[in-house]
Amino acid sequence: MTRSTIKIKTTLLDHQIAQLSAIAIGLSLMESILPSPMPGVKPGIANIITLYAIYRFNFNTAMWISVLRVFATSLILGQFLSPAFMLSLTGGILSLLTLYFAIKLPSKFFSPVSLSVLSSFAHIAGQLLLVRIWLIPHASIYYLIPIYSAVALLFGLINGWITYRLLKHHNSI
Amino acid sequence: MSTLRKKIVLKLHTKFFIGDGLIILISLIFIVCTFKTFWHFETGSVVQVNFQGNTYGNFSLFQDKKINLIGKEGESIIEIKEGRARFKSAPCKNQYCVQQGWIHLTGQMLICIPNEVSIEILGKSKTYDSLNY
Repeated sequence: MTRSTIKIKTTLLDHQIAQLSAIAIGLSLMESILPSPMPGVKPGIANIITLYAIYRFNFNTAMWISVLRVFATSLILGQFLSPAFMLSLTGGILSLLTLYFAIKLPSKFFSPVSLSVLSSFAHIAGQLLLVRIWLIPHASIYYLIPIYSAVALLFGLINGWITYRLLKHHNSI
Repeated sequence: MSTLRKKIVLKLHTKFFIGDGLIILISLIFIVCTFKTFWHFETGSVVQVNFQGNTYGNFSLFQDKKINLIGKEGESIIEIKEGRARFKSAPCKNQYCVQQGWIHLTGQMLICIPNEVSIEILGKSKTYDSLNY
């Protein structure tokens, strides 16, 4: 019997991405068992890891973590390619796109709280857009925009604040 | 490859962030605006009756009228009175449409799925069939 091994060369960054993704997946799974008053109303605590990675590493690392988290969480929960997964992916992509532009804001005036609020707004905007186009093509979902925006602001602030404390605690940069 | 990537250094400052305040303020204004735009209800003037996937007709709410529709399950009776509309009776088992009572605000809707009948209140903001107006 011949032993065949496939070796993939991994860099330190790969390991760091894997570790942070694992934390993000864990947070997502914890969040998924929390009861929710309305579908889609979630704290989105996994975003803390994405923001943390943007500050500690760079945007590409954060992007990897976010995308891996969306795919892995949906596979674990058995939602892969279901509407829940598509919503999560759309929200994730749009919030990454927003972060890509938001990190160009002067860091002298904008803290992680700003980035968190912006990305959580982008997340819910992407999801509502997909719901409007694909899942519920009726104008009545516009009534939900105020509620979801208020929730996005609240959890965006909380997550941003946690990220800020975390970065300060680790004394990064 | 690394030369192509523009490096963005993010720094954490420990002072009051004027940008955060700005973003929070804009968000709050946005939320208040969306509340005002989307949660603004007005008294409707027309009721649209949908029957078996088509618009059966638009009727003014300022009249006393009873509309009888015979669908797959039986007869649904829609009543219009004093600027309001309701399902007076329905042949379905659950009677959800009847129990929801009167509706009069724009955008409100009553749906009877078994009998394929739905009614919706329309206002000035929504376009309606000019033939029935």
